[in-house]
Amino acid sequence: MAATASSVAAANGVAKSDAPIREDYVRIDDLTKEYDGFRAVDDVSLSIRKGEIFALLGASGCGKSTLLRCLAGFEKPTYGKIELDGVSIVEQAAYDRPINMMFQSYALFPHMTVEQNIGFGLKMAGLARDRVAARVEEMLTLVQMNRFAKRKPHQLSGGQQQRVALARSLALSPKLLLLDEPMGALDKKLRSQMQLELVGIIERLGVTCVMVTHDQEEAMTMATRIAIMDAGKIRQVGTPDEIYEQPASRFVAQFIGSVNLLEGTIEDDEKDHVTIRSDVLEQPIHVGHGVTGFEGQAVAYALRPEKIKIEKDEPAQPHNKVRGLIEDIAYFGTHSVYHVRLQTGKKLLVHFMNAKRWASERFTWNDTVWLSWGDNAGVVLTS
Amino acid sequence: MNATKPSWFSHSALALGFAFLYLPMLILIIYSFNESRLVTVWSGFSLKWYGELFRDQQMIDAAKVSLQIAFMTACASVVLGTMAAMVMTRFRQFPGKAMFSALMTAPLVMPEVITGLSILLLFVAMGQTFGLFQERGVTTIWIAHVTFCVAFVTVVISSRMSELDRSLEEAAMDLGANRVKVFFLITLPIIAPALASGWLLAFTLSLDDLVISSFVSGPSSTTLPMKVFSSVRMGVSPKINALATLMIAIVSIAAFLGWWLMAREEKQRQRDMQLALQQGG
Ligand SMILES: Nc1ncnc2c1ncn2[C@@H]1O[C@H](COP(=O)(O)OP(=O)(O)O)[C@@H](O)[C@H]1O
Ligand SMILES: [Mg+2]
Repeated sequence: MAATASSVAAANGVAKSDAPIREDYVRIDDLTKEYDGFRAVDDVSLSIRKGEIFALLGASGCGKSTLLRCLAGFEKPTYGKIELDGVSIVEQAAYDRPINMMFQSYALFPHMTVEQNIGFGLKMAGLARDRVAARVEEMLTLVQMNRFAKRKPHQLSGGQQQRVALARSLALSPKLLLLDEPMGALDKKLRSQMQLELVGIIERLGVTCVMVTHDQEEAMTMATRIAIMDAGKIRQVGTPDEIYEQPASRFVAQFIGSVNLLEGTIEDDEKDHVTIRSDVLEQPIHVGHGVTGFEGQAVAYALRPEKIKIEKDEPAQPHNKVRGLIEDIAYFGTHSVYHVRLQTGKKLLVHFMNAKRWASERFTWNDTVWLSWGDNAGVVLTS
Repeated sequence: MNATKPSWFSHSALALGFAFLYLPMLILIIYSFNESRLVTVWSGFSLKWYGELFRDQQMIDAAKVSLQIAFMTACASVVLGTMAAMVMTRFRQFPGKAMFSALMTAPLVMPEVITGLSILLLFVAMGQTFGLFQERGVTTIWIAHVTFCVAFVTVVISSRMSELDRSLEEAAMDLGANRVKVFFLITLPIIAPALASGWLLAFTLSLDDLVISSFVSGPSSTTLPMKVFSSVRMGVSPKINALATLMIAIVSIAAFLGWWLMAREEKQRQRDMQLALQQGG
């Protein structure tokens, strides 16, 4: 799952990187929000570029909604600064900020029709009736909901409600669009379709967007950049493939996708390679590049399951190989996950792409196999 | 007790319950069509007591006073109750909030005699110090009724308001509506049914009140329950049966109408939702 998601994101990254970029269209400085001494958001600093889709990704309760609500103006930060397009907005009321939000529950006004919902903000802004009508029409076309203009929200399906909510939050052409768990209220089948549709619309309009989600697949598919949040703090910011391939810490490595963490110490620190001695392997791990560490430092070697090669016979390469016994197999269709127990007792996860329908080289329980990986397959983590 | 299989026991319990609740009313309705002056002896069908009722000017006047007070009470209670409910459900924690909520609803359990007496004492005191309310009448009854009705209305409205999705109000604010506009354009229309049922509740409570009215009424302001009570003490006239039957009819029609409207809306809603699901995303 993580592997496919990251490849989609990598493709997106190439397509998105050509526009001129303003590094700090949104600037969040030392933002903290306390509830009775409990820090829901803890000293967060972020820069968000113009036109990007920025995802706040974290487990439930890590403070991502609170951060989003500080941006929207529903919560007043205990301290910290927020600037949008060079203007400080912390002192502005929610109804004065050029920011609009799509709520997780959509929050469509139940007593108004689709048209009236989309036109609400325009009416509040004091636009003339015919200009409101024209803009509503434009937004309905954008989300392909013209047919449903006269319906009430409860007469719409979940996906249709989401389109209306999106149209409503885009009608005022906000400088910043906030999405709170945008797919949270949809069933699984609709999700992937709506994810791509939403990204399409947002990119077409070029609106800067901050979204909150606990679903890593969703963040990977939709976002240009992701911030990993944990206990109110930002742990890492990067593109989806950076987050996946170059996690900065054990926490991030384990949070995104699945990973084998091999604990060890730096044994030999050369300019062009490093060796790491780990108790769970007989051989030291050979890393094909220098690291910022010192000999004797405790580190973890993070190795993604799809980076490990599994085969019957001993591979020719001199290092980064180990023998083990297949203990468990999980078949996922696209790939199988093998749980391989090493002689030291450590269990490694290995992904195997099921490229052929009836692969003769597929393995079974209690097979003895050889695992191997390249010199640059894993990441050395110091924190 | 088996909830899935009604036995003879649960059937008879149900019958007994209904008899207990509605038999007295049924008898009252039947005797309102009695020819005889004697309340307990049936001598043939007649509408003459209804005719007498409408010729009794005192009774008509009392009904007018009652309806006027009930109407004003209901309106004032809904306004005050909505304000109290706003404070209870929408304001941030402030010192004494729990106490405010408790005090707001305390009149629900206060004996009416005490409420009536204390309000009377207040009026007397105000009359002595400020010269207000020396003439007791419709105004003083109205104020007293609002005092006890507002507690009921507050409970009805605040329970609706606390289950209202907060993000609706936040969404309106997000789209540029200030707090006043949010209240009048979003909150109020959505809780309107609760306001209506609160209004009806206050209206019936006020229409029906005898004890508190008796404390604070003046010579020119006899409400219908007071009139009924005093005339019954002179001896029960079948006229009162006729009056009671009319009131039962009005209340039943109002209750049925409310139920029917709500059921219709619910059915429509269900159908719409089915339709939306069938059409899919
Ligand atoms: N209004 C509030 N009062 C007190 N605590 C709150 C409030 N809102 C959120 N919290 C706490 O802040 C933490 C972060 O909440 P939230 O931002 O909603 O998390 P997330 O959206 O990441 O699931 C949670 O532990 C939650 O209990
Ligand atoms: Mg949340």
